[in-house]
Amino acid sequence: MRQKLKIYWPFLENQLKSNLAYQGSFYLFIVCSLFGPFISYYLWMAIYGGSSDGVLGGLTQEQMVVYVFMTYITSSLVMIGIAEEISYDVMEGSVVMALLKPIDYRLSLISRSLGEMLYRFFAPVIFVWIGLEIYKVTVLKMGVTPIQNILLYIVSLSMSYLIYVLFDFCFGMFAFVTTYMFGLDMAKSALLGFLSGQIIPISFFPAVLQKVFVFLPFSSMVYTPVMVYLGKYSGEEIAFVLGRQFIWIILLYVLGSYLWGRITKRLVVLGG
Amino acid sequence: MKVLKRYARLYRVFVSQFFKTIVQSKANFFIGLIGFFLTQITGILFLYLVFEQIPVLADWNLDQLIFIYGFAQIPRGIDHLLTDNLWMLAWNLVVNGKFDRYMLRPMNLYMQVIFEKLQPDALGELLVGSILIVISLQKGIVIISGVNILLFVVSVLAGSVIYTAIKLLFASFAFWIKVSGPVLYTAYQFADFAKYPTGIYVKGVRFLITWIIPFAFVAYLPAAYFLVPNVNAFSTIGVECILSVAFFVFAYAVFIAGTKAYESAGN
Repeated sequence: MRQKLKIYWPFLENQLKSNLAYQGSFYLFIVCSLFGPFISYYLWMAIYGGSSDGVLGGLTQEQMVVYVFMTYITSSLVMIGIAEEISYDVMEGSVVMALLKPIDYRLSLISRSLGEMLYRFFAPVIFVWIGLEIYKVTVLKMGVTPIQNILLYIVSLSMSYLIYVLFDFCFGMFAFVTTYMFGLDMAKSALLGFLSGQIIPISFFPAVLQKVFVFLPFSSMVYTPVMVYLGKYSGEEIAFVLGRQFIWIILLYVLGSYLWGRITKRLVVLGG
Repeated sequence: MKVLKRYARLYRVFVSQFFKTIVQSKANFFIGLIGFFLTQITGILFLYLVFEQIPVLADWNLDQLIFIYGFAQIPRGIDHLLTDNLWMLAWNLVVNGKFDRYMLRPMNLYMQVIFEKLQPDALGELLVGSILIVISLQKGIVIISGVNILLFVVSVLAGSVIYTAIKLLFASFAFWIKVSGPVLYTAYQFADFAKYPTGIYVKGVRFLITWIIPFAFVAYLPAAYFLVPNVNAFSTIGVECILSVAFFVFAYAVFIAGTKAYESAGN
């Protein structure tokens, strides 16, 4: 374990360093990333204003505010893609280095994305989170989130993260087939935004679709941890949704290893 | 006249070059199209799901919001199709010194930059926009008359000029700060606010997207002319046209000043 840490830690560290080096533009991107939740916030305010009963899709207006910002926090920490990295490595041919060196390519990519996650935790997640809790207590009068919800949220969030990166690794294998990952990535983000509960809570979908969506891995990426945070699950349900997350981690891990094994067998890298 | 003819011929040359690249990679073309199509369509699905629960949103009904949303996509798509190369200006033409090659040719610099690329991904946005407009028109929420069709075309054109002006302005900053991609990206993202009625936002945001980065004039305000009776065409589409020209002239002046301040990367 210590040996592993020694090998993969530099990947994490480098990612952190390069983020810190380009601070100016990173702050601008952070400001932009906050547009989304604020547009949603105003939109939902208007939507609740137009509804006769105070509960939509099982959420009150106050809970919806928490949902919108916790979704932002969750997806900032969870959705840290590695497919882009893979496509870059494939196009540059540097993927061959991954095969030559005695390191696990997937693990090295995940370490880098963990570095990015650490950075995002401090800029801006922690500030948005504290701000949200203060807003919750002073304006929404909801009380502070109970500590057990926060702990369960962190457990669920960690699994969400693993589901996402393992999924994105599988998705990244498309880079061996097409060179236009930009378009494919847009399609992926659009679909994920919808199926993971990022754009709208899964509970707004018609009952039949809900049943299908909760069994796909995507709802486990954002919707599950946020609902855990909101305390929407009973004890038994929590065990069930966490178990479901765990199963997806295993399935996606196995799928990723299988795809990687197949693709690297027939890989041809030109030049060098 | 002679000048116009020359530019028309040059544009044909550039465009035919561009079609060669599309034919070369048909798969990429479809991937990009689907990518942008899906991104826009999820926004509409959101509205459908929400309107399952409520009858009106800030005094607008579903058909009207779909009209506004679709209306917003068409100028965006036209600008995206024609002037996508401005992103390259913002990200790397200046910092890499690649702008040199434009300086050497005997042709208008702005024309050269935008002629160089057509972005077929934009067809995804144009497709979504047109479909939504047709769907909402079938509900009879807009009076279709000769005057309205003319005003619609004028408004769409003015809207795309607003988009282009905003992009040109922020991309031109690259001449001084070398890379203006993040700044341009920030400004461009404000367009997302304009997909919904501006009435839902607080005053500060409303002012910003109406007068500073005037995306509200691209869709929501002109759309209101078609949707709400007794809204004056001049105060919506008229102002839109004036703003678009004013912004473009300003952005173009900044661009020209930028090209004078340009220093090559050297090697």
